[in-house]
Amino acid sequence: MRHAPIPHRRKVLLLGLGAVALVLLGAGAGAALLLSGAYSTAATKQHFAITYRVLETGLRYSLESNAEEIEVPDLSRVAKIEVGHACYRRYCVQCHGAPGVARDPIGRGQLPSPSRLEQSAREWPPSHLFYVTQKGVRMTGMPAWEYRISQEGLWSTVAFLKRMPFMTQAEYAAMGARSDDIACPAPSGGHPYSVERARTMFQQYSCHNCHRIDGVVGPETYIGPALHEWPARAYIAGVVPNTRANLARWIADPQVFSPTTLMPDMDVVDEHAQHMARYLFEQQ
Amino acid sequence: MNALSVARLRTMSIALSAWSALLGACGEQRDYRPQVRGGDAQRGQIALLRHDCGVCHAIPGIIGAHGRVGPSLASYGRFPHLAGKFPNDPELLVRWLTDAPSMAVATAMPALDLDEQEARDMAAYLYSLE
Repeated sequence: MRHAPIPHRRKVLLLGLGAVALVLLGAGAGAALLLSGAYSTAATKQHFAITYRVLETGLRYSLESNAEEIEVPDLSRVAKIEVGHACYRRYCVQCHGAPGVARDPIGRGQLPSPSRLEQSAREWPPSHLFYVTQKGVRMTGMPAWEYRISQEGLWSTVAFLKRMPFMTQAEYAAMGARSDDIACPAPSGGHPYSVERARTMFQQYSCHNCHRIDGVVGPETYIGPALHEWPARAYIAGVVPNTRANLARWIADPQVFSPTTLMPDMDVVDEHAQHMARYLFEQQ
Repeated sequence: MNALSVARLRTMSIALSAWSALLGACGEQRDYRPQVRGGDAQRGQIALLRHDCGVCHAIPGIIGAHGRVGPSLASYGRFPHLAGKFPNDPELLVRWLTDAPSMAVATAMPALDLDEQEARDMAAYLYSLE
């Protein structure tokens, strides 16, 4: 004997309910794991092998899709190996090491551990190396460098990376002697204003670690004042009248206005300071 | 279907608020809470009102205190810094409330006509804001 067929609408309803129950169950299990404290945040506890592989695979696919549109310039023309080496010594060797050079302690205790770059630098196309250096890798500790290093500097770093795997310890040391007085170039700006970029800047200069800022996700911090409803403020830091020009100058160099302020100079590029000031003044 | 999604939203919001309540409970464990010697928060609340602090500062629990000349003092008990220049130490705050310009020449915060007890009471109230 056959059962009477379940009407279509009820089937959909049952499926929907099942899906909701599953989602709730998953969320509940997650909450229980998190709130019980059973999930360890210690950096001494390695990921499961499967988690590690999944993350690695995710990185590879993300790179492939995101780096696709990057146009690689003629590196022999645009990039200067010595400049790239200067950047590498200033910002990279601390965590990644170099031929015959150990990483600093700061690069040893991290999870995931920063890779030695000889292998990826050999195997990855320049566009991938550029993308990872420019944008960083979230949840790994790899910072984005585009707010620290100019485009030319980034391409120079890529050119240096492509060379590094083929260097002996002696060659690396010799290059160090040559690029000793070369600086890694900071970005020069030249980008149009956009709300989205301004938000990224607040994160990239770590503003949100001390200030709560509308539109920027960050910790519940009380280190500095919250910046909500900024245009209504009369003063910046209680010492300078709150105009957009003053704010841009304050962001770039707070200790010029107020030598005793606890707000540090974050090496903010002038154009970026202007964009952040504009963002604060234009928010609703 | 509509009723279902309403119920679902309600469940989600209940779960979320339970979650944040739990998280909040954990966040209560703090190793440092500023204490003002001889300060009384209740008297401080009245003193803050009487001295019109709310003209320049937004202060929770003080009637009419919505000023925007100076920073909001909501959650003041958690501020690590005083005026962006000093560690937020109770004795420094008491001095700041009485005579800010003596500590920072250029500050927009004026010297107030307070006796020491009033300043202590005000500080106690401000630190009670979490």
